[in-house]
Amino acid sequence: MQINEQLIREIVKQVLSGMEQPQAASKPAALLGRSMTLVEKGEARPGTKADEVIIAVAPAFGKYQNKTIVNVPHSDVLREMIAGIEEEGVKARVIRVLRSSDVAFAAHDATKLSGSGIAIGIQSRGTTVIHQKDLPPLSNLELFSQSPLLDLEVYRQIGRNAAKYAKGESPTPVPTRNDQMARPKFQAKAAVLHIKETEHVVPGAKPIELEYSFN
Amino acid sequence: MKRSKRFEVLAARPVNQDGFVVEWPEVGLIAMGSPNDPKPSIKIENGKVIEMDGVPRAKFDFIDQFIADYAIDVTIADQAMAMEDTDIAKMLVDIHVPREEVVKVARGLTAAKLVAVFNTMNVVEMMMAMQKMRARKIPSNQCHITNTKDNPVLIAADAAEAAMRGFDEMETTVAVVRYAPFNALSLQIGGQVGRGGVLIQCALEEATELLLGMRGITAYAETISVYGTENVFVDGDDTPWSKAFLASAYASRGLKMRFTSGTGSEVQMGYAEGKSMLYLEIRCIMITRGAGVQGLQNGSVSCVGVPAAVPSGIRAILAENLCTTMLDMEVASSNDQTFTHSDIRRTARTLMQMLPGTDFICSGYSGTPNYDNMFAGSNWDVDDYDDWNIIQRDLMVDGGLRPASEEEVIAVRNKAAKALQAVFKEFGFPAITDEEVEAATYAHGTKDMPGRNIVEDLKAAEDMMKRGITGVDIVKALAKNGFTDVAENVLGTLKQRISGDYLHTSAILDKDLNVISAVNCRNDYRGPGTGYRMSKERWDEIKNIRQAISPSDFDV
Repeated sequence: MQINEQLIREIVKQVLSGMEQPQAASKPAALLGRSMTLVEKGEARPGTKADEVIIAVAPAFGKYQNKTIVNVPHSDVLREMIAGIEEEGVKARVIRVLRSSDVAFAAHDATKLSGSGIAIGIQSRGTTVIHQKDLPPLSNLELFSQSPLLDLEVYRQIGRNAAKYAKGESPTPVPTRNDQMARPKFQAKAAVLHIKETEHVVPGAKPIELEYSFN
Repeated sequence: MKRSKRFEVLAARPVNQDGFVVEWPEVGLIAMGSPNDPKPSIKIENGKVIEMDGVPRAKFDFIDQFIADYAIDVTIADQAMAMEDTDIAKMLVDIHVPREEVVKVARGLTAAKLVAVFNTMNVVEMMMAMQKMRARKIPSNQCHITNTKDNPVLIAADAAEAAMRGFDEMETTVAVVRYAPFNALSLQIGGQVGRGGVLIQCALEEATELLLGMRGITAYAETISVYGTENVFVDGDDTPWSKAFLASAYASRGLKMRFTSGTGSEVQMGYAEGKSMLYLEIRCIMITRGAGVQGLQNGSVSCVGVPAAVPSGIRAILAENLCTTMLDMEVASSNDQTFTHSDIRRTARTLMQMLPGTDFICSGYSGTPNYDNMFAGSNWDVDDYDDWNIIQRDLMVDGGLRPASEEEVIAVRNKAAKALQAVFKEFGFPAITDEEVEAATYAHGTKDMPGRNIVEDLKAAEDMMKRGITGVDIVKALAKNGFTDVAENVLGTLKQRISGDYLHTSAILDKDLNVISAVNCRNDYRGPGTGYRMSKERWDEIKNIRQAISPSDFDV
């Protein structure tokens, strides 16, 4: 699909104006907004170690888009999830899924490459899921569908819980947040961000291993 | 610029917290009448559609092919397609043209032609048409019962209250998917405490949802989604044929089911191909017709923020509901998801379906406070119960609910919590304490509930599925613990699975578990004095609100 970039910018601007930021209790982190580097290292291979969790990012994450629907920088999101995984003594791998912008399929593809069978999927707008190999693609361990409500604290908890599943534990799920006014405020913007994500889908493409570093 | 004080006040109004966008046809951000919508056409040779809406058969995508082969009645198509758009629209509003005649013509129309018909109609005309075209004569309503903690005791109590207040169907879903078996169990028991014959579903990933249905824990399914472009189907590893197969899997086990679709979903998923939302949605309605499914939940549903953000979006939502009825299917007409901060706007949107009446006006109304609504909030919730009841009373309109007294609500919630407590004990699940029963009886929502051990609950829910617990086990557990009436109600809904009568279009069960459907309660509206008219008993029920003062209240 051909999309006029300028039109998109105009629409995004229109959608953004008149939208308030949610009063999400985002804990101000000292490291906010520092950049990251994602280097593409070719096709992602199945992991052999049981102590790893894969984070599967959607096609535009950290590349064509750099912040979530509520302007949390992707670099901070990724860093928090990785920190959550590592503080449980588990290793984090990051891959980019290209064949779909659907968060469930991105995560499910990654579970098949994850040595532990556990993966986290995340879209550019911030929607996140913890998935497990052998579950049906549209099922999950934990789903965080309301992207405007996700802050860095939640992303760290998501990383931590994913690592616990990888270790065979049964963690208490990350408390579900719900705001019935997220849809009226953000759905049109969510649609635009997803259209922009889906532009970068490459049908049939294999997932790519990403080497990450934070500056 | 110096600010006008009036504009400052306007800026602070709830409606100005909503998101709006201008029409953007290139990516499908347009409700009706996209310049990229195809022009209506049909060519039939040897009983086969060889061209549809300007596309020759060789260039059909799989949705075109499915619609051409299964949804269009080729025996009437040439004649129907030759009619003027406005002539078909006039048939819809003309009280002298019976419903059957419109259905016959509609079966011969292509998606582009149906869109062209709706483009000629205003919302009052569409409401007139809806009043006639709805399949079941008596309108009804559906609710959501969920909570952020998947607290089973609260689900049972909320279900009982909602059933007593008049909902004929109720739907749950999960905050944490592994809680699903408990949510379904709690909803089934609570619902049957509220009134016998309430039908329940648990919206989940499709395989799990089917399994719960086959076990007899749920009675119907609704979240089998279809889409208007090939790419969105492919994104979900699906085709119209795989959805049709799933539909027959439900029907063959005696489970009521309907599909779900809605304007805006293709935009939301990033694959709208520049077509209008209504055009794509009508393709979904035709897929549903072609699959032989009895009904459809549509009216944008969870994507309502998208059509609601563009001009004429709420009109397009009414048009899609109407189109479902024209193709002779049950319509569960949404009104189930928040799309605005404005009470005025959300009421105006609902009157489109509430005034003419649909098979399920809301699908559903939140039977919990909205903060507990795990469908991300409904257009209506428990705090609106009195508003809904009083709108029914003001306009003498049947919106499916009835006023309830505080005493009866407390009693029915308490009974449901106790019934679930007994069943949990019988099955060896983590105990429901008396404190929890008390809290659920009087609660507004999860904020009033003590916490449960979620990890232990999840293990027990998994165990429930591993042990193969079925609806019959629920009946036994209820009967053994003295809840004979509730056991009989659960058993009654299970019997439907064998007789299959509730697989007919637009079926619900009354309190004596008799089927009311478009077969034995056919909508025969033909103008004033015909169709659904409230009985005296029903009107007395609606009139009887606790807030009204009567002469006997005065000491004179």
